[in-house]
Amino acid sequence: MAAPLLSAALRGARGGRSFGTAAVLWRRAAPLGPMPNEDVDVGKLEVLERCRSFARYLRLARRESRQPRWWNTYHKHTSAPPAEPERDIGLPPERLSWAKEKKERKRILRENHQNSEMERAARLRTVLIPLDDVRAEWERTSGPFHKQRVAKHFGVFRDLFRGATFTPWVALRVHYSQEDEYLVPVYHGNMVTPSEASSPPEVSYEADKGSLWTLLLTNPDGHLRDADSEYLHWLVTNIPGSDLKAGKEMCHYLPPFPAMGTGYHRFIFLLFKQRGPIDFSQDARPTPCYSLKMRTFSTFDFYRKHEDAMTPAGLAFFQCQWDSSVTSTFHQLLNMREPVFEFVRPPVYHPPQVKFPRHQPLRYLDRYRDTQEPTYGIY
Amino acid sequence: GLRFASTTASLKTETEVDTSENEVVAPNFTNRNPRNLEQMALARKERGWKTTWPKREFWHRLRLERTQHYVEAFVERSNGDVVVSASTREWAIKRHLYSPKGVAACKNLGRVMAQRCLEAGINFVNFKAVIPWEHRCDSIQEFEKAMEEGGVVLHEPRRIYR
Repeated sequence: MAAPLLSAALRGARGGRSFGTAAVLWRRAAPLGPMPNEDVDVGKLEVLERCRSFARYLRLARRESRQPRWWNTYHKHTSAPPAEPERDIGLPPERLSWAKEKKERKRILRENHQNSEMERAARLRTVLIPLDDVRAEWERTSGPFHKQRVAKHFGVFRDLFRGATFTPWVALRVHYSQEDEYLVPVYHGNMVTPSEASSPPEVSYEADKGSLWTLLLTNPDGHLRDADSEYLHWLVTNIPGSDLKAGKEMCHYLPPFPAMGTGYHRFIFLLFKQRGPIDFSQDARPTPCYSLKMRTFSTFDFYRKHEDAMTPAGLAFFQCQWDSSVTSTFHQLLNMREPVFEFVRPPVYHPPQVKFPRHQPLRYLDRYRDTQEPTYGIY
Repeated sequence: GLRFASTTASLKTETEVDTSENEVVAPNFTNRNPRNLEQMALARKERGWKTTWPKREFWHRLRLERTQHYVEAFVERSNGDVVVSASTREWAIKRHLYSPKGVAACKNLGRVMAQRCLEAGINFVNFKAVIPWEHRCDSIQEFEKAMEEGGVVLHEPRRIYR
C-alpha cells in the first residue's frame, strides 16, 4: 500500500512543487465541542430525511454555514467580534396596540382573497402595485429599521457616534429644488451633485405642535487637515414644529465641496428632538462663516454636550462627488486654492525576507531591494 | 469672501484669519466612507472562492429566495451583511398582492426592490447567485426585467487594477 503512494508522490514532485511529508504530532485531546454530523445515525440512512432538490439543499447549507462554530472559521478570521453591546441613543419605540392592527390586516387580506379582479390580475400577471403607497406604508412600518441598517453599512454610527446607534423613527423628507421645478430628493445614500446642492434644501417631517427640533448637516469625510473630524455645513436649532424658518440658524448653509480625486463623501442630515429650549450659544458661528477652522466639528462632542436635552430622531444622507461647481466654491466662498488629490495604492505585501529562500526565482531579491535594479528583463 | 477694506481694523483681521487658515491642507487625505472605494471600482473583491459555488467575487449581491409561502430579495455584501431587503412578508407589499408567491409577486417585488436599491445608492449589483436551471423560470425572468427597468444594473464593473 505504501509503495504506490510513495511513487505517486515522487511523480508529483517531478512535475511541480513537491509536498512536505514532515508532520508534528502535538498532543491528542478531546474536541472542544460536538463534531459535525455527530447526530446523524449512520446505521439507518434510509430513514433519514433527504432534501430531494438542490434549492432545498442550498437553503439548508446556507443556514448551516451561518451557525457559529467552535473551530476557527473564515468568518471569525475576517470579522472582528463586537467589543461591547451597541448602545441605543434614540427615542423609545411607540407602543401600538397590535391586536386591533392584526384584525384590520386580516380583514384586508380576506377581502383581497375574495376579490375576483385581483385574482384575475394575479393569474394573468398584469398586477402593478402602487409604489408610492407602498413607500408611504414602508416609511410608517419597517422604514426606520431598514434606514438604520443602511446607515450602519455606510458607517454613519461608527463615524458620528462612535458605535452608538439609534432608530430614526421620524421620517425626514429632504429635497433640493432646482430651477425648472425639478426636485432632487435625499434618501439614505443616493447621489446628489454639488451643483444641485448649492442652495439650502426644503426639509419636512411630522412634528407635534409645541415640540422643538434641531437640524444638523455634517460631512464626516471631507476634512482637509484631520481625518477624524467633520465639517459643519448647516445648523438650525430650536425649530418649533416643522417650520425651519422660525428656527434659529446657528451656522448658515455652506454648499458641499468634496475635493477632486477624493471620491464620494457622505453628507448626513441629523434631526434631534429637544426636550425644551436649549442654549446653543457655544455652537454659534458668525454669519458669513467661510473659515474651515471654525467649521471643524465633532458630532460626538456636540451630542455629548447636549445629550440630556435632546435625542436623535431622524436621519437622511446623500453621497456627493467632485463637480465643476466645487471649484467656484473653493475660489469664491472659501477663498483658497483648490486641492487636488490622487489615489495612492498601498504598497504590495511581501512576506519577511529569508536568507535561503526555497523555490524562488532570482527576482526574489528585487522585491526587497530599496533601489529599482531589476534582475529580470534586462537583456 | 473678500470684502472692501473697511475703516475698522478688527473686521480686516477677521477676514485675514479666515483665508490664511483655509490654505493649510494636510498632504494625505483619508476618506472614511466605506462605500467610497467600491464606487470608484478600486476596492478588493474576494477572489478566492473559485472551486465552490456561489462565488464571492462581488461588492454587492442580489439574492432572490422563493419559498412556498413568500418571496424575498436581499442585497448583501460578501461577508453576509444585508444592506437592502424587500419581502412579500412586509405588510406594505402584502396588502396590495392577491398572493405573496408567484410570478406577479416576483415582478412587483422587483419594482419595489429597484426603488429601494436606488434610494440606498446601490446602482450595480451582482445577480449570479441563481441556480442555472431555475434562471429560466418566469418568476425570476420577470424579477430581473423589473430590476433592469427600475434602473439597477445587474452586473458589477470590473475592478481597476492599474
